Amino acid sequence: MSEPSVAEENKSHILHHFVDSDQQFEASKMGMWVFLVTEILFFGGLFAAYIVYRAWYPDLYLQASEELDTFWGAVNTAVLIGSSLTVAMAIRSAQLNQIKGLIINLYITIGLAFTFMVIKYFEYAYKFEKGILPGSYYSYDGIAHEKANIFFSIYYMMTGLHGIHVLIGIGLMIWLVFKAKKNVLHSGYYTPVEITGLYWHLVDVIWIFLFPLLYLID
Amino acid sequence: MSGHHISSAKFLWGVGISLFILTFLTVAVTWIQIPEPWNVVVAIAIAVVKALIVAAFFMNLYWDSKFNIMLFVMSIVFFALLIGITLLDTMYRTDPVPTF
Repeated sequence: MSEPSVAEENKSHILHHFVDSDQQFEASKMGMWVFLVTEILFFGGLFAAYIVYRAWYPDLYLQASEELDTFWGAVNTAVLIGSSLTVAMAIRSAQLNQIKGLIINLYITIGLAFTFMVIKYFEYAYKFEKGILPGSYYSYDGIAHEKANIFFSIYYMMTGLHGIHVLIGIGLMIWLVFKAKKNVLHSGYYTPVEITGLYWHLVDVIWIFLFPLLYLID
Repeated sequence: MSGHHISSAKFLWGVGISLFILTFLTVAVTWIQIPEPWNVVVAIAIAVVKALIVAAFFMNLYWDSKFNIMLFVMSIVFFALLIGITLLDTMYRTDPVPTF
């Protein structure tokens, strides 16, 4: 790219109602944080359900979590932390105008996100086979607790909603790859990468809590 | 404006590795059987430390404007309010709702 076109591009992303690029960036980022607050409270409702039922039926949680495989839960935690690292590296690449590095880091992140979903798919499939389904579809008799279906309803709601967020994240990162390939993103305008990164880190943080709460209740 | 903090690759790897170590630690503490209430406390404490590391150094709150930090803190405050007030009801019912 020649010098003048870069200079032109550096301004082309600024919308007319913003004073400058920085103000637009800060406004977008603040908007994303407001959205993340609603996300925390969205998952917060499910965490509340988890806490209330755990307080009512502590034995149920001890027995039912035996059905969850700690090993694969830990692997998925590592996969998501790894993907958070690559997203942070993608943002760094964008800030330094290294578009190739940005695309590579996005590809690795997408790969890790798919790895997470594949592991989750096998975990779900294994449970479905045993008849461990949410709510009234629950038909497994390996847990001697009459409320066993409640634990798994909570499990499927929390991990399911989290899984939907991972899928949306994959979609967003594919969108970013297209944007990067069209040379829309550069060190002066990487807002979509920053914003998607914030979202992805929040998805990681939620899993950081789901893992010990669901899998690690020895 | 403080929104354009660029972390070094080395620093980001350091943050990632510390998160991996804490993940291993949270699994490892389940191998030594910690007595009842404390195993939950330890698991949550490690998760909180990990979440704060992600929020501060991956989500860049450490270098961010105070307003965004306030938004994050307020979400935690309102979450605590949700849990606190709900438990004030559910923990002190004379008999829990039988069908649930």
